[in-house]
Amino acid sequence: MMKNRLMDLLKNVSAYTVICLYSIFAIFPLIWLVIISFKSDTQMYNTTFIFTPTLDNYKIVLFEGADYIQAFINNIIVSGGAVLLSLLVGVPAAYAFARYNFAKKEDLAFTILSFKFAPEILVILPLFMIYQKIGLYDTYFGLIWVYQLITLPLLIWVLRGYFEEISVEVEQAANLDGYPWYSVFWKILVPLIKPGLVASSLLAFIFAWNSFTFPLLLSGFQIETVTVAALRYIGSDTVHYGQMAVAAAVAALPEVVLALIIQKHLVRGLSFGAVKG
Amino acid sequence: MKKSKSIKIFVSVLVILVLSMNMMACSTPAGETDTEGDAAAVEGFSWDMASGSTIKVMFNQHPYAEAIIKKIPEFTEETGIEVEYSLTPEENYFDKLTIALNSRSGDPDLFMTGAYQIWEYAPAGYTADLDQFLNDPNMVDPSYDVDDFYEGIIGGLRWDLKAGHKIGTGPLWALPLGFESNVLAYNKRVFDEMDLEVPTTMQELLAVCEELKEFGGPGTYPLAIRGARNWGTIHPGYMTTYSNYGAVDFTIEDGKLISQVNSPEAVEMTEMWVDLIEVGGAPSWSSYTWYQAGADFGAGKAAMLFDATCNGYFQNPEGASEEAGNLAWVAPPLPEGKTEINSNLWTWSMAMNEASKNKTAAWLFLQYFTSADYQKWSITEGNCVDPPRKSVFESQEVQDVLATNTGYIEAFNATVPGTTIQFTPQPHFFQTTTEWAATLQDIVAGNYDSVQEGMDQLKKTMDEIVADVEAE
Repeated sequence: MMKNRLMDLLKNVSAYTVICLYSIFAIFPLIWLVIISFKSDTQMYNTTFIFTPTLDNYKIVLFEGADYIQAFINNIIVSGGAVLLSLLVGVPAAYAFARYNFAKKEDLAFTILSFKFAPEILVILPLFMIYQKIGLYDTYFGLIWVYQLITLPLLIWVLRGYFEEISVEVEQAANLDGYPWYSVFWKILVPLIKPGLVASSLLAFIFAWNSFTFPLLLSGFQIETVTVAALRYIGSDTVHYGQMAVAAAVAALPEVVLALIIQKHLVRGLSFGAVKG
Repeated sequence: MKKSKSIKIFVSVLVILVLSMNMMACSTPAGETDTEGDAAAVEGFSWDMASGSTIKVMFNQHPYAEAIIKKIPEFTEETGIEVEYSLTPEENYFDKLTIALNSRSGDPDLFMTGAYQIWEYAPAGYTADLDQFLNDPNMVDPSYDVDDFYEGIIGGLRWDLKAGHKIGTGPLWALPLGFESNVLAYNKRVFDEMDLEVPTTMQELLAVCEELKEFGGPGTYPLAIRGARNWGTIHPGYMTTYSNYGAVDFTIEDGKLISQVNSPEAVEMTEMWVDLIEVGGAPSWSSYTWYQAGADFGAGKAAMLFDATCNGYFQNPEGASEEAGNLAWVAPPLPEGKTEINSNLWTWSMAMNEASKNKTAAWLFLQYFTSADYQKWSITEGNCVDPPRKSVFESQEVQDVLATNTGYIEAFNATVPGTTIQFTPQPHFFQTTTEWAATLQDIVAGNYDSVQEGMDQLKKTMDEIVADVEAE
């Protein structure tokens, strides 16, 4: 009995030690990011933990020149817009893939998935030329549209699994009770797929938020996103690591806040549709 | 069945209709390709001759660009030309630019470029020949003196498009905003404390490196030079010294470019360079780019920097780095017995998109920001350095600014006459120089038995890369 307890204790201690070590390993880059955001350029290369902290980097990035804040707002518009458009198109599409049988269904589903296959840099030249011709270059809608290559496949494929999980009888029962099709959809189906909807929307938002190649090459004169704007702090004279750290910390905020808010849906949402009974 | 067939026909007709309308909308009718420049070529020059136009400019993130951006409102006020711009760091700048030029949409109208990039862009027809504007009295402000540019600097942007032909002749593809020659910068405080003489020859430089090993404790080292596996490692200190040893990269034999990197001079120079890296280089030299080399020098980790003039200069203003104010410059060290100084040139310049639809407005912008008045302001108040114009460098205001940097003016004066592009123009420049840097890394890593063996192998690789180039 005693021996068993000792074994349990040892197991717990070693498990916690491993978790602690891993946490330090995982969190250290973030801690380092915060530390250097308080360092001046002159102290950047010759100090580690002991230095004179300064708020200059925050002042420069957030208040001197409105560029970064504007880029932040731009990012919210294009990433949020991209996810909304994906939801608008992707939820009905996922439902159709799950429920209906039509010719070339799997081919079409695979085509949507294949949007994710091609490296962005390979498709950018034709996209650039088309965007220039039809006036979408350097516009909010242009970016929202091209972000569908990132967000739409993810949303459709995750939600398709969810719709397939829900038995058709549930819908039929609601129909029998007199619900029109749109009420069935809103009142029965959407609540059932909510965890998946939330989790895949968040992931789609994060991928769109972090996108670099598309906003770098398809905009820049009027619209700039944070991923591109953050590079401003790499000057040809020097790399302003402190300012970059501030930019990165600010850019990560919405993702962290959103992830915390919907944490409970996140793990469940992504694992639920994966295993079929 | 019949219904589905008629739907198919309807959809097909609709698609054809939409496509043809789209093509009509996209194609440019003949005559509309005329540049505004041609239309605006009227009698006499006037700064407001393209008033009402809007131009787009692509900048690389650099103090030269930041200075121009500050002055854009004044430019707009004087010319009536609106300017939209994008500012992209160098790491991604040329990818973005190449795609934009490749589309031939005319967007951007102007772009920052280096001379080496012109060897790709000009043969592809991306850049406009600027002589057409310079030779037209109606297009040039009477006070704009093109002969005021240092010959070696503006000559670096002239090329006749023939691979293997040296720069300096042919059309002018860009105008210089600033330039970099390569010199030796050193930390005066360290040299004074250790009572060391500043090296003037490569042998002295190697000897000083021996003395400066860990001069300030662990982590400090004698000489910061670039070492990353890309073209940036070859073009500053290395190519400067390479040319000072009398070595060349290519010669033309039977209409082909033939690499000369295994010539006796090239091997002797590379042996010296490898010794310098082994004795004096940073412990992680092979990852060093412009940034690490400059930052280590400014932070006092390296006692010397053999790199572009302005790399150390940007570390010297008060507050810019730990060693600000202690940094000083001399001309590049030469091999024993040599007196003539060569230095390899890098020039940030501005070129015009051949497909631009606003060429007059673009030319006015180019002229405005390469004028002597603007370039003087950019040095005295715009945080720029190394003006490409003689009159600007020699002006008292600029001399006063530069005089606060010990030895800078002397190093500039000694180096500028021999500063030009030491490479042979050819379209595979970036590939050959990247291979060159890779070989240098391999030699330092001991992957070859001798420098000669490494350079022999490099010659073969370079010859294969340029095999398709027809030289005259």
